[in-house]
Formats: sequence, C-alpha cells, structure tokens
Amino acid sequence: MLRPLVHFFLIGGLLFGSKAVYERSRIEGPSITVRVAADATDADVEAAVRESILLNEARRYHWDRTDPIVYTHLIRNMRFIEPDTEDDDLALFQRAVGMNMQAHDPVVRARLLYRAREALAFVPEDRMPSSAELEEHRRTHGDRFEREGRVRFQHVFLSRSRHGAALAADAREMRERLAALGDSSPAGLGDPLPGLRPEQLATPSELQDTYGVELAGVVEEAVVGAWRGPISSVYGLHFVKVIDTEPAYVPPLDVIRTEVRADRLRAIRKKLRQERMASLREAYRIEIERAP
Amino acid sequence: MPRFLSSALWLITLAMTVVGCSDAESRSGTAGDFGRCADFDPLRQVFWGDTHIHTDLSLDANMQGTRTTQDDAYAFARGEPIPVQPYNEDGSATRMATIDRPLDFLMLSDHAEFFGTLKVCNDPSSLGYDARQCVDYRAAQQFDASPQEVAGIFVGLNALTAAEPQGARYPELCGPADEYCLEAGMDVWRQVVSDAEAAYDRSDACELTTFPGYEWSGGPRVKNLHRNVMFKNEKVTALPYNYFDEPYAEGLWARLREECVDAGTGCDVLTIPHNSNLSEGTYFENKMANGEPFTSEYVEARNAMEPVIEIYQHKGASECLPGAVTADELCGFEAIPFSNLATTNLEIITPPDPKGFLRHAYGEGMRLEASLGTNPFQYGITAATDTHISAPGFVAEDDFKGHGGAGQPNRFLPPPPGFPDIEYLSPGGLTAVWAEENARDAIFSAIRRKETFGTSGPRITVRMFGGWDYPSDLCNAPDLVAQADAAGVPMGGTLGPQPASAAPVFVVLAMQDSTSAPLQRIQIIKGWLDGDDYQVTVYPVAGNANNGATVDLATCARQGEDSGDLCGVWQDPDFDPGQRAYYYARVLENPSCRWTTWQCSAAEYDCTDWDYAGCVAQKDNFPPSDYTCDCCDPAAGLRQGFCAEVDCTDPDSLLEAEQRCCHQVEPVIQERAWTSPIWYQPPS
Repeated sequence: MLRPLVHFFLIGGLLFGSKAVYERSRIEGPSITVRVAADATDADVEAAVRESILLNEARRYHWDRTDPIVYTHLIRNMRFIEPDTEDDDLALFQRAVGMNMQAHDPVVRARLLYRAREALAFVPEDRMPSSAELEEHRRTHGDRFEREGRVRFQHVFLSRSRHGAALAADAREMRERLAALGDSSPAGLGDPLPGLRPEQLATPSELQDTYGVELAGVVEEAVVGAWRGPISSVYGLHFVKVIDTEPAYVPPLDVIRTEVRADRLRAIRKKLRQERMASLREAYRIEIERAP
Repeated sequence: MPRFLSSALWLITLAMTVVGCSDAESRSGTAGDFGRCADFDPLRQVFWGDTHIHTDLSLDANMQGTRTTQDDAYAFARGEPIPVQPYNEDGSATRMATIDRPLDFLMLSDHAEFFGTLKVCNDPSSLGYDARQCVDYRAAQQFDASPQEVAGIFVGLNALTAAEPQGARYPELCGPADEYCLEAGMDVWRQVVSDAEAAYDRSDACELTTFPGYEWSGGPRVKNLHRNVMFKNEKVTALPYNYFDEPYAEGLWARLREECVDAGTGCDVLTIPHNSNLSEGTYFENKMANGEPFTSEYVEARNAMEPVIEIYQHKGASECLPGAVTADELCGFEAIPFSNLATTNLEIITPPDPKGFLRHAYGEGMRLEASLGTNPFQYGITAATDTHISAPGFVAEDDFKGHGGAGQPNRFLPPPPGFPDIEYLSPGGLTAVWAEENARDAIFSAIRRKETFGTSGPRITVRMFGGWDYPSDLCNAPDLVAQADAAGVPMGGTLGPQPASAAPVFVVLAMQDSTSAPLQRIQIIKGWLDGDDYQVTVYPVAGNANNGATVDLATCARQGEDSGDLCGVWQDPDFDPGQRAYYYARVLENPSCRWTTWQCSAAEYDCTDWDYAGCVAQKDNFPPSDYTCDCCDPAAGLRQGFCAEVDCTDPDSLLEAEQRCCHQVEPVIQERAWTSPIWYQPPS
C-alpha cells in the first residue's frame, strides 16, 4: 500500500524536476562531467551519460540521503568499519554521509539507478489508458489482436485402416451418397474418429494441425455448399462441405480489455522512458572526459 | 498456526485487499465463462496443454541462465519463437526455440518457494537486497561466474526445499519473520495472476486458456513430493503457499480449502502430483504428517484435492517399473535409473523404488478404499514437460534443446559438446482434456472429472468409454461417441455395481498425431484387488504388436505398417463383480528414434577408439559439435555390439565403460498415450 504512494510523490518530484530542468535548460542546465575509458565506443559513452544523468537526478532529490535502503546500507558499512562503536544509527549515518560514502558505494549507486529507472517508467494516473484510448489502440493495432477466420463445415471420414484395399471404391460410393444428400446432414455416414463431428467450426490452422495441409487447404478455399473430396490425410479420405465462413476479426474491447491494456501499458512505459530520458538528456550539459 | 502467520497477517490482509480488487475480477468475475466459445461441443472436444512450466521466476531456471519470462512462455505457447540460453556477453541468445503447433491451454508453475527471494535479490529497493545470500546470488548471475560457483550458491539456497518439513524455512535474506520475501512473493504472485489474465483469450475464438498456478516444491531429504497448484481463474489465495509456508501436503490442502474452495469467492483449485518416480517410494506412503496412517478425513481431502497426476515428464515416466507388480514389457519407457532429485541431478545411478510408481498407487488406493471408504489415489492422467526454459509443450524428440531444471542448464559458453541435457531425461509430454470448449471453466471441470489423458509428446488422440451394454460392433458406428457417452462413462469415470452378472465393456478409439508415427496398437491395463492383494494384467485391444514396423538407427527413417486410427471394443474376460478394479488404455505408436538417437544420427562420430575414461576427463575440452563422447557412450543405447557380451548381473565386476551398458536408454522408443482409468466399484 505504501509503495505506490512513495512512488507517486517521488515520481512527481522527478517529473517536476525534469520539467523545471528542461525549462531552465535554455539558460542553464545542470552540467556534469562523464568519465569514460579512452577506447569507449559511442554506445558506451551514451550509456555512461544516461547513467550519470539518472544518478545526478537521484542525488538532486536527495535520495542518497533519504532512501531507507541507502540509510540501512550505510549504517551497516559503518558498523563493519567500526565494530566497537556505541553510536546510534543516526550518528553513524551522518558520519557516513560526512565521509561522502554514498557517492562511491556500489550498492547505493545501484539503488539510486534503480529508483531513477523506475521513476522514468512510472505511469501516472493521468497517463493510464482510458477506455477510449484502449479502443483506439485495439483499432489501430488490430494485427496484434486479430482472431483467425473460421469455417463451419460438414465432414465425413473414411478410415484407411478400416477400409484397406476397398478405400478408393468405398470413397466413390460415398461421394455419390453425399451428392444425393442435398442439404441434409451427413450424420450417420462414414467412420468415427476421435474429435470428428458431422458439423464443426474451425480455423484453417486448427485443421492443418489435426488433419494436415491438404484438408485445411480445401476448407480454406471456402467453396460454400458443395461436397469436396475425397481429400487424403494420414488417416484416410475425407469429404467436406463448407456451410459458411466467418472472416478474421478483432474482438471488441470489452472482451479483450486485459489483453489490450497490457499491450498498451507496455507501449506507454516505453514511450515515457524515452520521453523523460530525452528531456533530461537535452537539458543537461555534458562534458566527456576520456581516461588516458 | 503456521510459523509465518503471526508475523504476516497484515500482509495477507493487504494482499487480499489488492487481489480482491483487481481489474480482472471486477470486470469478468467467473460466472458465465462456460458456453462462451464459438466452437462448443456438448460431446466434448480434445484440447492440448502443458501444466508444468518454469520461467525465470524459478530459482533453478533463473540460475541456469533462463532469462525468458512468463510473458515469453505465453508467447511460445502461441507459436512465437523465444530465445534460449546460453547468452553471449552482449545479452544475445545463442539459440532460439519454436513450438511446432500452438497449445490450447497452459498453467505456468514456477517454484513458489523463491518468488520472494528472487525479487528481493534483484530489486535494490528491497530490504534484504544486500544480504550476503543476495550478493552471492547476484555474483552467480554475472557473465563470468564459474559453473562451480553458480552450483554452490544455487545448492545453498535450493537445499532449503530439501529440509525435513519441521525445518523448512525461508532463506535468511528474507529478514525478520520472513517479511521481505513474503511481501515480495505476494508482488510476484500478483504479477503471475495478472500475466495469466492478460494471456487468457476471452474472445469467442478461445485460442488460448491460461490458469494461474505455481509449484509447491517440498522435497524432504531430496525425495520429490512436489505438486503443482492450479487455480481455476483469477480468484486465488493471497499467498502462493509453498513448502516454507506449509511444509506438509495436508497443510497445503487445508489452506487451499479454507482460503479458496470454501471461501465462497468463486475460487477453485487443485494440486497435481508429479515425479513420484523420484520420491524413493514415499509419494504414496500410508503416512500423514503426524506419522500416523491415513484417516478417512485425510483420504477424502486427498481425493478431492488431487484428481489427476503427472504420469510422465522431462524427469521420466512414473507409470510402472519393469518387473514390478506384473510382467509388462512396456514399463521400461523412459524409466530413469534414479531414485530422487539429487541423484538425478548428479547422475548417480540409484535404483528407483517401485512404490513410487502409479501401478503401486492404484493398487494401494483400492486397498485403502476398501478400509477407509475413499480411494486417496484415484488419479486421472496428465503429462507435461517440466520445462525450465519457458517453453511449454516443447516436446519434439528431433528438436530437443534440453529442459534444464534437474537436467543440464547449458547456461555457460562455450556449450558443452554433445547432448544438451542428461541422456536419461527427455522432452516430456502433453496433457489432453476432453472438454466442451477451450475456456477455463470447461477445461478445469474436465481435469476435475479426470476426463484427461497424457501423451509422451505426440498429439495422439484417444477416447475411452466404459459401460455394460456396448455392442461389439460399436467401432463401426459413426456416432460412436454419442452412443458410448449415453450408455456409459468416459475415461476418469466410475462404473457402479451392475445387477446382472455382465462384465464391463470398454471402447477405445484412437488416432495418430498427423505429424508423428502411425499407431501400432491399443492395450487395456486392468488392475484389481484380490482380497488384500492387487494384481495387474495387460490386454491387447486393437492393432498388432508384430506389425513389423521398424526404424533405421542411422537415419531415424521409419518403415512399416500404417494405421492412422485404431478402435477396439473389449469386454473383461476375467471380471469378478466382487473385486474393485481399474482399467486404463495405453495407445502405442510405431517405433521411432529417441531424442538421443536423433542427435547422434545428425552428428558425426567414430567409436573405433572410444575411451570412456578419456571422455570423462577431457569432454569439456572438445568442441561443442563433437558428439563422440555421448553417442559412443553405451548409455545412449547405440553400442549394441559392444554391450552384447556384457553381463550386468554383477555390475561391480565390470569396467566402467561396460557398466554403462547396464543402464542404457532405449535408442528407439514407442511414443504413447495413457488414458485416465475407469474404475469399477463393487457393491459395498
């Protein structure tokens, strides 16, 4: 319960600070010197610059003095250095700060970077996607949420292992029977197979996974109202009659809201990170110092 | 009251508040989930899934270099490629994996014991972040960490799950009263539930069904008693109760019953035992937490909470052992030569205990039912991968990359030469359910009523019904399923006493996986209680065991008779209406190459001057593409000439290389499906 509140205030602070920094930048932005290895690549330099900015921001908001993790960690360091001390925690912490320990300790550095990065990606209430925004996201990114088109079809099967050498002849006979069926159901014709139904709704992908590419291809052609076949599979021969087709579609928002929201939030976080980093990057004046 | 509760009640209250108010709940609830899919079949359709998957949220997977997340696992199940370790220093993966066909449903089952630990150690804002164990953990995550260093730190943490129950506790890094890890663990659990929600297809296309879950990983003295906890929907318990919270299974069930099943919130849950083969025979021991034999309350709780069991996965089959209970030549399938988790991981040959196998459990269950009124081991059947690389349903024998976990992680570069996993382990299997539609309510209900079957990987589809009056020509009926369903019970059901003196009749209908080998035969395995003894007999039902199908070990090409589908109607010829009995079907494919043979068939190696000791000493110096040590090792099953003269009756008298002949994997396997049994209940 506490963490979101802490985030809210701290992030608010960071955002405010970023804005202030940005607005002032035309006059005087913070200046920092970033030290990199002599042979550092451009990418290495950029990474170091970004890290330095984040650390500087964290320090500007005194997280290196106020963060509870930093606090306990520095005290632990001090008790390690001074095992016999009788000073209380606050005194030890103040002494650590006096020694500027927080500026060099790797755990403190990691902690500050972590908080700054969390802050960059934090989504404030006013950036949480509204229903309208989710609907827009669903509509404009339909490819991510699209469901495959389906085909309703009738299906009659003749088993190769049951019919053996008579399979082809039996298939010819079946074709004639089916042709004479008209619009009647084929229920009661053919051989059973687990999962096979006289009438079924399926996507071409599902059919390919189950019966192979040939049957899926015929069904996908979606010639409505005519018996097609025999079509061969590893199981035997099949006859299919497409009843109707349903095109690919994007489900409505109220059905896939969770899915859309998760996708949208990923995008928002990415954008916020980029925007906030860019603002800071622009506001800062950076001097690069390459170590010899 | 469990130890942690006193210090964590506030956390639970907080979590219930947060979980109880989640977006998903307020929006969807659970009512009305049934019947919403466009493709709904009252006679039920088959759906394929995996209920045992680990991602970077599991300590073992995480330390083995798995960086893929629960989101990645869902993406993989939908058919998208994911990266697989080892990773280069720049973070790019050296391997990718893709499933051949999407899954219909899945439950991710990361080890809940370390949900909090991993978060605390990876989150600098966490109290406990700079605890010694976390510092060590992070050191082990560095690119240049050595395998020995990583193993040492992993074992130091993971050994906590092997403590005796009374000593089970969170790592020290979790702080006073374990609060850091409890709180962080709840964060992770909330994210697990939220990710499952986001991946669940609520449209009428019903493409993917997800269930929130985790693994309870109790393994006292490395005897595996693990269980996967599967929730029906987003209504879950506040905490993912793990071995440190509830170190006995009955404590776990009590907690789940109290806070979920009986809570009146729409929550429902079940637990799925697995790898009973690695329990040193203790999984089905007639002993409760207090050391006393089962009571009627206990067996009722177990029966209600554990409707199904994992018969097969990455760490071997748990159906039966060769020679135990009955002569069944097919019990050798993926029977790994280890008795517990540690010997598996360390590859120390230790004979498994037949009491840890399902045949024993089924017999014991009937015996206990006779005295206590309820069968505690009335398990339906599932199978799974137990992948630790976030790759649900990744079961292809010809594309095996190693699943990690108890197997080889392949985290480090360069990758070791030869096989990507311990040769005795395997890609694992799949669970199939017969359900009306691909949605949570329907699939969860199917698992509850045990209308499930497991396969060793291929999508062999099998349907089984039992009744009293099925005609002998039922296989010829196009409406076989409708007839059988109306006049009998499906797999997982129970046949009650029949007034007439008829024997039960079973119909089994199976079809091959269109991308795998044809079917060879169907068997029915009958077990019954004769007085106080239980017996087993295997009956042929359809197909032909001697169909002449073969496989070429050099190329893995299959040859032989071709049956795409098989059907049989079988009546028990030895039925005694006074005896409890169970019947399950086993469907066998024609022979095909095991994954080890696939890899050797694609590799170049020469066993002419093969030297076992040299391989053991030098293997890591060989290039990754060199399969000589693994393919020439008799354990891979391809040195039949070398092993022909080896007498394994006295292994101690043999040279090391010869001893490897005594524990060979089967180079050629018969992939299979196992149905849930149908039980016969005699008059009381």
